[in-house]
Amino acid sequence: MISFEHVTKRYGERLALDGVSWRMEEGECAVILGHSAAGKTTLLRLITHETQPTSGVVTVGTFRGGRLSRSHRALLRRTIGVIYEDFRLLPDRTVFENVALALHISGQFMEPDVTPKVLRALQEVGLEAHRDLLPAELSFGERQRCAIGRAIVNRPALILADEPTGALEPKSAAEVLSLLLRIHREGAALLLGTTRAEVANVIGGRRYLLEDGRLREGGPGTMPVSAAAGQAAASAGGP
Amino acid sequence: MHVYFWREAWRSFRAHRGLAVTSIFSLAALLTLSGIFLLLDHNARQALNAIGDRREMIVYLKDEVSEAQLAELMDKVRQYFGEPTYVDRKQAWDELSRQIGDPDLLSGVEDNPLPASLRVRLKPELLNYAAMEQAAKQVQAFPEVEDVRYGAEYVRRLDELSAGMATAAWAAGALVALAIVLVLYNTLRLTVVARRQQVEVMLRLGASDRFIATPYLVEALLHTFLAAGAALLLLLALQQALASRLAGLTFLPLPWLIGFVGVALAVAWVASAAALTRILRTIGS
Repeated sequence: MISFEHVTKRYGERLALDGVSWRMEEGECAVILGHSAAGKTTLLRLITHETQPTSGVVTVGTFRGGRLSRSHRALLRRTIGVIYEDFRLLPDRTVFENVALALHISGQFMEPDVTPKVLRALQEVGLEAHRDLLPAELSFGERQRCAIGRAIVNRPALILADEPTGALEPKSAAEVLSLLLRIHREGAALLLGTTRAEVANVIGGRRYLLEDGRLREGGPGTMPVSAAAGQAAASAGGP
Repeated sequence: MHVYFWREAWRSFRAHRGLAVTSIFSLAALLTLSGIFLLLDHNARQALNAIGDRREMIVYLKDEVSEAQLAELMDKVRQYFGEPTYVDRKQAWDELSRQIGDPDLLSGVEDNPLPASLRVRLKPELLNYAAMEQAAKQVQAFPEVEDVRYGAEYVRRLDELSAGMATAAWAAGALVALAIVLVLYNTLRLTVVARRQQVEVMLRLGASDRFIATPYLVEALLHTFLAAGAALLLLLALQQALASRLAGLTFLPLPWLIGFVGVALAVAWVASAAALTRILRTIGS
């Protein structure tokens, strides 16, 4: 599903990824653990083609390497559900409209198609009662659940989550993680980037540590977090 | 196009009312300017056509032309040049007498010296200087014809005036089109930049440029349509105000009105599509 072949990414002098080779299969669950600015977001952005590798090849499904045209890039992104730490919801649209946006983008406009899918997604994330509220009227946890609803409404085969609990208090974080696990168990591959070891412990699956631009695999759900990552996780451990 | 895009365009229109009103006023001013040129051009054309209707050719005939030859000549003229009207020598003399008015002035003339003639109302395609000159040469070549007269210099000046007005109208149209492009480009740039965050989110969710651009395109067309409507109302008011002073000043006919709005929308479409392509490429990866 996803493969990185000797992928290096530099931002000027700074090395974000250093010859990373890695694969992720369909339906798999993986967590990339690393301290802040370790390159987790870069890795996820390479998958969505928001940035290009300095060298090496990134393959996602049938989209292999190189610089994709704008239309192919858009097509690739429609096959992935992405969840951001800061939600990236449209502030002037209701919860329903934010979730429906993903369907509209993939070319679905007819009411009989859109409404049942959106309502189902909202039901899955527990926001059906808030469908007419604007994002500003929701708590942070509800906003993230709305973003998850938007990510899953198209039933993508792959969900990318970049620090999905970073802005949430523990109860909301636990709800969001449990939701992500449920979506994964229903068949979607889940790739999650986080600074928090406890998040990795909850999610389970294959665990990777990203440090000094290099990606190392640990045992499933048991690998001890390095001192640096541990400190970062402790300091960003949430309220 | 799905109603979603119209709804989005309306949402953007409401969200940026100030920008929309400024854009509509600017476009209306430009379209009114070009509309004034159109109104002048239309009325000038009408005046020229009225004069052009009187552009006829006089074909003087030789005295010895028989009735059969005359009939044959009229057939040829009708076929190739226009509708002939025969004026015999007596009619010509009577017309001259009427024009002069004083019978004493012509009392000394014993024989009618005037030749018979054909007055030819030329076909529309011959109503220009070059075609008239060519037609006169061809008619002159018929053996029954003594001489051919037409207002060559007058026709040439009329054609020059007409061509000059058309050039001025095109130049004004081109300038206004350029100004419309600039107004729409800047309006769209400001609108898209104001919603940059949303555009970026849509790009990350896999929206195509077309999906993002379509509502803005619809909005630009809406601005232009409203501006064209306002410009036409202003022009109508101007025409009504001047009609009492300038007799015969008419408003633009329906096909011209449809053309005016259609061309404005077409220019807006092309300008907006080009502007949005450029703007979106600067925003998102």
